[in-house]
Amino acid sequence: MVLIGENLHIISQKVSDAVTQKDKKTLQQMATEQAEAGMDYIDLNVGPARKDPEVMGWLAEVVQEVLDVPLALDSTNPLAVEAGLKAAKWPPLINSASGKQESKERMLPLAAKYDCEVILSVLTDQGIPSDAETRAESIMDTAAYANDLGIENERMWIDPILLPVSVAQQGVVACLEFTQMLPDLLPGVKSTIGLSNISNGVPEELRGILNRTYLVMLQRYGMHSAIVDAFDAELRDLVRGNLPGVVDVIHKVMDGEDVDLAFLPPKERDYAKTTKVLVGKILYSHTWLET
Amino acid sequence: MSYRAPVEGYKGKIVEVVIGKGDRAVKIGGENILAFNQTFDEGEFPNPPKIAFEVWDMEPQGWAPWVLEPYKDVVSDPAAWAKRCEELGADFVYLYLISADPNEKDTPPEQAAELVRRVYEAINIPLIVYTTGNEGKDPAVLTKVAEVLGGENLLLGPVIKEDFEPIANAAKEHGHCVVSQAPVDINLQKELDVKLARILPREKIVLDPLASALGYGIEYCFSVAERTKHVGVMFEDAMMQMPIIANFGAEVWKNKEPKEREELGIAWEEVTAISYFLAGANILVMRHPEVFNVIREMIS
Repeated sequence: MVLIGENLHIISQKVSDAVTQKDKKTLQQMATEQAEAGMDYIDLNVGPARKDPEVMGWLAEVVQEVLDVPLALDSTNPLAVEAGLKAAKWPPLINSASGKQESKERMLPLAAKYDCEVILSVLTDQGIPSDAETRAESIMDTAAYANDLGIENERMWIDPILLPVSVAQQGVVACLEFTQMLPDLLPGVKSTIGLSNISNGVPEELRGILNRTYLVMLQRYGMHSAIVDAFDAELRDLVRGNLPGVVDVIHKVMDGEDVDLAFLPPKERDYAKTTKVLVGKILYSHTWLET
Repeated sequence: MSYRAPVEGYKGKIVEVVIGKGDRAVKIGGENILAFNQTFDEGEFPNPPKIAFEVWDMEPQGWAPWVLEPYKDVVSDPAAWAKRCEELGADFVYLYLISADPNEKDTPPEQAAELVRRVYEAINIPLIVYTTGNEGKDPAVLTKVAEVLGGENLLLGPVIKEDFEPIANAAKEHGHCVVSQAPVDINLQKELDVKLARILPREKIVLDPLASALGYGIEYCFSVAERTKHVGVMFEDAMMQMPIIANFGAEVWKNKEPKEREELGIAWEEVTAISYFLAGANILVMRHPEVFNVIREMIS
């Protein structure tokens, strides 16, 4: 599975300060740490960057001074993304375009113009689709539009848009269903997902296990990549096949097998409980590991 | 051999909660089907929904005259007011200790508890006691009420995530039920239920997911109540199997239009009541006696 490191994110105070103060060293160090943690891409999230779209170009150069890792250019602002595209040494990934009219008109053409790969989300002007079927409908439209621009399926990374399990548990189940459907819908496309969003609003110490369990589940259904917390070592171990015991438990629960929690070691038990929540069998609450 | 159509039932069952004791004990919950879904013999709804009438511990301001009409001679005496509710046929009296709120009269806990005792002694039906949801004041008031009315098995509420511990502990010590209240959020509701269930058995807990009025977000409240029942009855989630109280009387009658036109207010409260009834509420807290009659007829 291709992992995209999410940690260079403008919402982080450290990143925001470093960008404002043009503190190259801090940013380079953060990028390097992610690469050393085995990230295949480094995501550069500059937010909308309305005042200074050029910041993406600067940031791309800063990171490339020390690293030979492809970049994901993360902004809703096409001007910022284009600044990054001009500066990128390695073929970058646009993060992201969507079915919103403005995105179709201004962001998607950049993928055609710079001949690069692009994350395409199911978002439209109507908002985030509610279930797997409406996600499918929405992405079919947007992908057809992209095809017309000359962007072939192989260059698209489809993002089903994951919402927090604490507020939209059905959406979590819908993203799993959608991931299973995707190869039939759009043969040849890749896929990705903003994984950490699943645990937004969840107590900090409980976020990791939600992220990790869900990624194993998505991996089983053929998810090509994910935008993840680069420093979650257990997450990397899981998707790289170093914890087969845990993966096995998650798969069994996904298959509806009768897993007797009482006989599982504590760690596997927690993963089993988390899987039950993420397949939608058990209503989410912050106390899910305690019952 | 005669043909018998297969019947699909559910495995989950709402917990049966008893409020009050002795002659005035009333059971709620206990169903293993969804409200009004008993087409064949899938399951049972052994205890039809019950109706509570509202009594305030101070003279209400801003109530529509037609809502106040049946009580206008007794509004300054909560005990007499409660008695009147019983005469009108209420299953419960819902006593609202609004005056204890620091933003109202900040009535001391002892005085509030004494009033609850007086109301309780005036009636022969079980008593629900609500405070205003003030986390600073409620625990002192409700623990005092629990102590003074020890063993009478009142329904005390609301307990919220900030103050559930002292109130639930007092209910446990003195033998009462509590209302678990979360703000129209099924996930937070479950979290609070899990925490409460470590202190009290489920048979001592009633859920209040909040109930807004028609036109003021009833869709959200309806969905949360309905889904709570789905999760409890259809998906067997033990922490969502407690009965539900829908407290919408005040939500309906605080609006401008029901205060201006009686028939419109009645229709408004009726539609709101029927909605929560359909969502699966086990106790309805309402205000207008005419609405009460319509709903009573529906229930029977």
